Amino acid sequence: MIKLRSAFATGLLAASLPVAAGAFELKSEPKIAFIYASTVQDGGWNEAIDKGRAAVSEELGLDIAVAENIPEEATRLRAAIDLYVQRGYNIIVGTTYGYSEAMYEAAQAYPDVAFFNASGVHNGENMESFYARTYEAWYLAGIAAAEASDSGKIGMLAGFPVGVVNWDVNGFARGAQSVEPGIDTTVVYTNSWWDPVKEGQVSEAILDQNADVIATDLSAASALNAAEERGAGAIGYQIDMSAAAPENILTSVVFNWDAYLTPRIKAVIDGSWEPEEWGWFEGLESGVVDLAPFGPSVSEETKTKIADAKAQIIAGELQPFAGPLKARDGGEVVAAGEVLPDDALWTMDFFVDGITGTMPAGE
Amino acid sequence: MTDFFLAWLTVLPGYVLPLLLASLGVVLSERAGVLNLCPEGFMAVGAMTGALICLAGQGPWLGVLGGTAAGLGLSAVFGLAVVVFRVEQTLAGLATVALGLGITGVLGRSHVQKPFDGVPRLSETSWGAELPRVLGQQTLMLPLALLLLLLVAWFLTRSAAGLRLRAVGEDPGAADVAGVDVQIVQLGAVLTSGAFGGLAGAYLSVASAHVWVEGMVAGRGWVVIALVIFARWRPLRCLAAALLFGGTEALMPRLQALGVDFPVYLGAMLPYVLTLAVLALTSTRRGARSGAPAALGLSYLRQDKH
Repeated sequence: MIKLRSAFATGLLAASLPVAAGAFELKSEPKIAFIYASTVQDGGWNEAIDKGRAAVSEELGLDIAVAENIPEEATRLRAAIDLYVQRGYNIIVGTTYGYSEAMYEAAQAYPDVAFFNASGVHNGENMESFYARTYEAWYLAGIAAAEASDSGKIGMLAGFPVGVVNWDVNGFARGAQSVEPGIDTTVVYTNSWWDPVKEGQVSEAILDQNADVIATDLSAASALNAAEERGAGAIGYQIDMSAAAPENILTSVVFNWDAYLTPRIKAVIDGSWEPEEWGWFEGLESGVVDLAPFGPSVSEETKTKIADAKAQIIAGELQPFAGPLKARDGGEVVAAGEVLPDDALWTMDFFVDGITGTMPAGE
Repeated sequence: MTDFFLAWLTVLPGYVLPLLLASLGVVLSERAGVLNLCPEGFMAVGAMTGALICLAGQGPWLGVLGGTAAGLGLSAVFGLAVVVFRVEQTLAGLATVALGLGITGVLGRSHVQKPFDGVPRLSETSWGAELPRVLGQQTLMLPLALLLLLLVAWFLTRSAAGLRLRAVGEDPGAADVAGVDVQIVQLGAVLTSGAFGGLAGAYLSVASAHVWVEGMVAGRGWVVIALVIFARWRPLRCLAAALLFGGTEALMPRLQALGVDFPVYLGAMLPYVLTLAVLALTSTRRGARSGAPAALGLSYLRQDKH
């Protein structure tokens, strides 16, 4: 009995000992690899991250290995990671939500390797997922859209109904409503991340409903091509898409991943990296997400309005999802004087008031 | 309501024509007995080549022609493998798709996301400016595709060459005895299917999107394969099937934009569910003709030609 109790006590003691907390340390010279699920020149998501990779490479003076078209399947990704680790790579950056599980397993199998994953869900002693509060920039884009619209109807293309997409949609609508409370935001989900032909066709469907601004939450520039053809305002995503709609572009919501990647990877190398317990997740203040330069049709007045809102968001005075916030199909989500907590952001599965469209049922 | 219907009708060809064109090619190839899983690859090279030619300033029609030729070129590789070297047709088809996607990834790399002037809409031509919108928004690809459809239907059912092609697909041995050169017929059918696939791909980039990006075929080639099974290898039924599949796809975003609660996942499933249903129905009726060519997928080897 005593033995048992002491064994129990020992166990308890071991459990209560602080985890060998502290910074992660590399055991060898830094060798960095980036793994992408498609080509890096997709004109959107991957291209934005690859720009960050190039900046890191230049800043640190290191060559960075790149693997493209590694499918979001556990076995395929793991094979790529194993190969890199065998060759001595010790900083591995994944670039998609679909890598989350397999990457987490690899991180546990290789504790001496630092893992990062963009828009992933797992974190650990040697792994950190990162994403940006994109809804803050979409709120600003919504202001630009509402200022440009005469018809009182703006449109947006989205991919799948997951939290990180839904908050873009709702942020955009909230921003537009801050200018025109009665404005209608028509949203269509394409149910794919990558189908440029369909995106163009869906844009036409929205424009046929009298929308005169169209924004895309996807990587292809098809929506901007369609807008340019019809003379409607256009808002791009992920990289500056102005080339696709030089006349009618309003702005693009863009990522500057080097603002995160460069200091973070430097920290790994100099031994000061401590992965965020819940992942790294910042917004406009970090510079990771921002607006691209405005198009020719955006007035000075609008620019000032957006700059003011941006300053307020950075200062914490303005919160896109501050109460009172009502869901379109349901009651009040956030009471006056409160803001939507982060965990509710990640599981956001509703439209705010003022959105037309159907959110496909979630899983 | 009328407006909604007209707007839907206006965009319909954009959804239907690529499926129709590629499926006509698959019908020809499979009625000659060659199982053809290649359209995704044919369309990929067609889309890229068409766009590259347009970006080089050669004009959209040369782009369409070039895309067609690219599909034909890729099908020559497939034809060589399955008809001349008698490689297993499923594997060769999948390899051809991989080859097509790989080629476009490598060659098209520096040309992604560059808009160009594609095939003009009728309303943009000097004579079509006064057309109503539902016609004015179309391109000459619409009559071209319908013409090709009639041509293929006539060829298969009314011409002697079409009869020979069907004979090869049903019983290559008998056709051989009757003096038909099985390999030439199959090679011709495969090459034509490549040209149709390339044309369908060029439609996507040159007539529809006016831009090329990697992976823009986005699975349409696989839908085409299901579509041909659904249409029981008949050209005119391919039009009906393409209208059904494409029409639903065109309808979904429009209903969503109206705020109608439409089960989009069910809609996206439709082509496959219908195809499975047709497969199940035709295979349960014992002895009934399922519509599939009897020798589909079998390599033909004449006894004395070892």
